[in-house]
Amino acid sequence: MSTKQAIKVENLNKSFGKGDAFVDVIKDANFTINKGELIALIAPSGAGKTTLLMMLGCATEPNSGKIWIGEEKVFENKWLTKETRKIRREKIGFIFQAHYLIPFLNIIDNLTLLPQANKVADKESKAKARELLSYFDIADKENAMPSQLSGGQNQRVAIARALMNNPEIILADEPTAALDMNRSVDVVKMLKKIALEQDVAIVMVTHDDRMLTYCDKIMKIENKSVVFL
Amino acid sequence: MIYLAKEDIKHTLGKFIVTAMGVGMLLGIVLIMIGVYRGMIADARVILDDLNVDLWVVQEDTLGPFAEASRIHEDLKYTLKGYQAIDKSEAITFQNIQIPFHEKKLSVMAIGYDIYGSITPINPKRLIAGRTLKNDHYEIVVSDKTDYELGDTIPLGRDIYTVVGITHGTVASGGDPLVYVSLKDAQSLQFTYTNKRIQTDRARGIKSGDAHLVNAIIATVYPSYGVDATAKTLRKWLHKSVYTREQQTDVLTKYVVEKASKQIGLFTVILISVATIIIALIIYTMTLEKMKEISIMKLIGLPNSTIVKMIVEETLLLGVLAFIFGNIFSHLIYTKFPKNVVLETPDAFILFIIIVIASIVASFVGVKKVISADPTAAIGG
Repeated sequence: MSTKQAIKVENLNKSFGKGDAFVDVIKDANFTINKGELIALIAPSGAGKTTLLMMLGCATEPNSGKIWIGEEKVFENKWLTKETRKIRREKIGFIFQAHYLIPFLNIIDNLTLLPQANKVADKESKAKARELLSYFDIADKENAMPSQLSGGQNQRVAIARALMNNPEIILADEPTAALDMNRSVDVVKMLKKIALEQDVAIVMVTHDDRMLTYCDKIMKIENKSVVFL
Repeated sequence: MIYLAKEDIKHTLGKFIVTAMGVGMLLGIVLIMIGVYRGMIADARVILDDLNVDLWVVQEDTLGPFAEASRIHEDLKYTLKGYQAIDKSEAITFQNIQIPFHEKKLSVMAIGYDIYGSITPINPKRLIAGRTLKNDHYEIVVSDKTDYELGDTIPLGRDIYTVVGITHGTVASGGDPLVYVSLKDAQSLQFTYTNKRIQTDRARGIKSGDAHLVNAIIATVYPSYGVDATAKTLRKWLHKSVYTREQQTDVLTKYVVEKASKQIGLFTVILISVATIIIALIIYTMTLEKMKEISIMKLIGLPNSTIVKMIVEETLLLGVLAFIFGNIFSHLIYTKFPKNVVLETPDAFILFIIIVIASIVASFVGVKKVISADPTAAIGG
């Protein structure tokens, strides 16, 4: 198995409902995503993008198949650990449509909340947070509240939060949906840079075809199958 | 270290404080209710404490004048004095009367006692103006709650009484102010009727009744004789009901104040239950307002314990803050109540414990919501 492997999926299946209400969403998905890659995940609405993203994020249980996060097999017809949340906490970063920062925490606390849950020392997590804030050029905002920052600044903080636990993968659910064209391009370029510099795989759901040129690969859900274009 | 509860409360401090003040007012009323009960008990004990006697001899098979009608002969006090164990014994009367009060009537309890006797119901410490009774007739000592002043006159029965002394903190178990008159005046008030009534009674052939009746004989026992043993002896030979001070206290608190205390107790339980439900609803609403954040926290991997801790801490803080506001509120208003309200620290402490437990129980609704929150709800608009 390659050390570059970030996500590996074998024969992954997911369906919802029973009887007349039975719906197959993902059938026999097989793919590997390596570290350093920015992958665009595209599909029409309702095709199963979010379901696939949540299965990769260990938040939705597949019906069958296998999933590896990095080198660790986390699913083989069932979760291989009771603590799927621990996998998310230690190996996965999330970026949402909106920034979804905790509104009652200042920027530095928003960033250090997750390391704190991972029992990382306060000093160490704050140093990491400050390093990331500098990386995203918002070092002077560490004591500001999310409501005091612009939408673009908050989205950068949200990306910084996703990096705080040194994840193996980042799952981004339409991170540019709320941004204008210029800012969207900035964010996607930033994600590409992060993927390379932080050696992390990023799966980004997008509806915006203009963003696809910045991605390394395009993954599409077509007729319930996952294919690379 | 990040304290989520502290940061969340800081973010909505005004709203949180106003909410705590609202719940606090409810808890303040709970404290006042308990204070009313304590006040009733304290009021009930005023007469017993001021008299400070060992034995109460009352009409046979009755609980005594505080619970029911009791009439015995005044001269029984001499019989009692004949017993070796008895140090002092005096006759005493209690009757509810109405006195003029700001062009209305005020219900008071009149205590009649022998002003030359060895036991006085007037506690010198409670006398704030004037003196005790010195003449057999037409003098009265009143509680300051009656609003009378020294030298004022009060028409009672067929006579007019002059206020010669004013006491403070003297009330009966029902909260009525106490007034003190001589035993002779008290008997006259009880047994001397109007001229027309006497005329009618005579026409009916009814003779004047015995006016030398009192409601109880009170006595003290020499320390070398046991109070209980003396009471037992007197019961055997006098064919009267005899109560020790503790028994008479029980009569007052268990029989006289019992129903009121049960009522107040029930109100208190209801109010605490309402406060618990309100706290639970507030916490539920506060949790609902944070559901998006909670889903995100769960999705990014925060353990339930971190989020649950935030909810429980917020609930506890709400309960504690409400308790503090409740105490302030109750101490600001308790003097405004017409009846005696006694706020005691142990009661507040017990309420504090109850509120802490109630807050923990109330937090369960928020905790349940947190545990059932779907982390995937964070994804999408």
